[in-house]
Amino acid sequence: MTTQSEILHLKKAFLFKGLPDDVLDALGQKMIHRRLAKDEVLFERGDQGDALYIIDEGWVKIVREDSQGNEVVLNSCGPGEAIGEMSLLDQEPRSAGVIALSDASVLELKSDGFFKLIEQRPDVALTLIRSISSRLRFSGAYIQKVIEWSQKIAEGDYSFMDQAQTDMTVQTRKEEDKADQLLSAFVQMVKGVKAREENLQLQVEKLTLQIDESRRKQEFEELTGTDFYTNLKAQAQKIRQQRTDNQSS
Amino acid sequence: MGKIVSIHSFRGGTGKSNTTANLSAQAALAGKRVGVVDTDIQSPGIHVLFGLDEKTMGKTLNDYLHGMCEIREVAFPIGENATDAPGRSKLAGKNLWLIPSSIRGREISRVLREGYDVNRLNEGLQTLIAQMELDYLFIDTHPGLNEETLLSIAISDVLLIILRPDNQDFQGTAVTVDIARSLDVTNLLLMVNKAVPERYDYKDLTDQIEKAYGAPLTGILPLSFDIADNASRDLFSLAQPDHLWSKELRKVAQAILAVK
Repeated sequence: MTTQSEILHLKKAFLFKGLPDDVLDALGQKMIHRRLAKDEVLFERGDQGDALYIIDEGWVKIVREDSQGNEVVLNSCGPGEAIGEMSLLDQEPRSAGVIALSDASVLELKSDGFFKLIEQRPDVALTLIRSISSRLRFSGAYIQKVIEWSQKIAEGDYSFMDQAQTDMTVQTRKEEDKADQLLSAFVQMVKGVKAREENLQLQVEKLTLQIDESRRKQEFEELTGTDFYTNLKAQAQKIRQQRTDNQSS
Repeated sequence: MGKIVSIHSFRGGTGKSNTTANLSAQAALAGKRVGVVDTDIQSPGIHVLFGLDEKTMGKTLNDYLHGMCEIREVAFPIGENATDAPGRSKLAGKNLWLIPSSIRGREISRVLREGYDVNRLNEGLQTLIAQMELDYLFIDTHPGLNEETLLSIAISDVLLIILRPDNQDFQGTAVTVDIARSLDVTNLLLMVNKAVPERYDYKDLTDQIEKAYGAPLTGILPLSFDIADNASRDLFSLAQPDHLWSKELRKVAQAILAVK
């Protein structure tokens, strides 16, 4: 028997959305429990992808290596999240590795068991095709948006950012979605580019000296139009003359 | 005969006293005999930079102006009393005298109420240069263009005008420059203080200022948290000689010392 919580977990995987409960139950029965100790490797990048995993308990990290060979954590996943859904269908090598962050328990569904189920239930295949095509459409819409924004950035127009940020706050929770991650990364990139551009503008800011010539003249006349000033000017000339005389003597 | 160098700014808050104190210290460090007069009688402040307070100050410019002592008695020898802060202690043994204004409220209000004879101020300064055999007498002026400031401009051999990079200062500096020309000041120098680092095109700023006022811009000193943090406790250019502010200040000092 598949437990209720396992069925709930299965429903969260986008591939299985819309599958009837009896199919989920059958899928659940094909799944095996695997326990992972902390730091244990579930699979490595480049391994053949022949199974889907759903996390039952605990946390794992999705990792890759950068060009220096250092580990880069792409994401971390917890209970209910599915890993490697597409591998069930295409069996491509794994694009990233998965390592347990804590002691964890995962459900493993092997692709051969999955294919057998599809053979028995053509309606399952149809539901899967619908899920995948809806996701393709969704990704296409995001890509279209990124293309439009890229053109705006090329023209120096960042006005879409305010709207984009509101969009993002609604959608950022769907972390399993690559299109969503692209959008999020894109928005971050634009913020960075914009900040650098503003900083550059600051650096080359040119001050324009503004002198109000009529005010200048008026203030000068007010200051110099007094008896004090006339006396001072005469006195200053005398003082300078005396000092010059002293110097030469 | 020693030179009178007036340091002026049209508006307050330009860092005038701090600049004056540091410039005079640099001149003393270069081996010159230097006097510094605080003619900002209404709001004296330069004494703090030299480590003087009400107790240590002794006689003041006010006493001289009111006919109560000779100007020579007011001159406080910094080089003999300069051990209390890391920067200032470099002035030990140097020929530097401060002529402070009184910081007693009663004496400040007396000057404001009764005024004083600017001629006596002039005589005092000339006497000081002669008796102390000064090479340079730096005058820290009151901002704006009141009578004693006009006098110190009138008797200056060198006038250094400090301005900040903003339009109010540009306008005020224009009037000061006109006054200085009218009073036949032959050596007019400019200095920008409190420039936000990295913010302006400095070459463009220099070109504009020199063109507008027809005088050389001798230094662009940055707005600096380090200066604010120093809070007038010490002479910054001596305490932190490698700081950008100090380097630019030395350029200004060199321009003053280069005047023939």
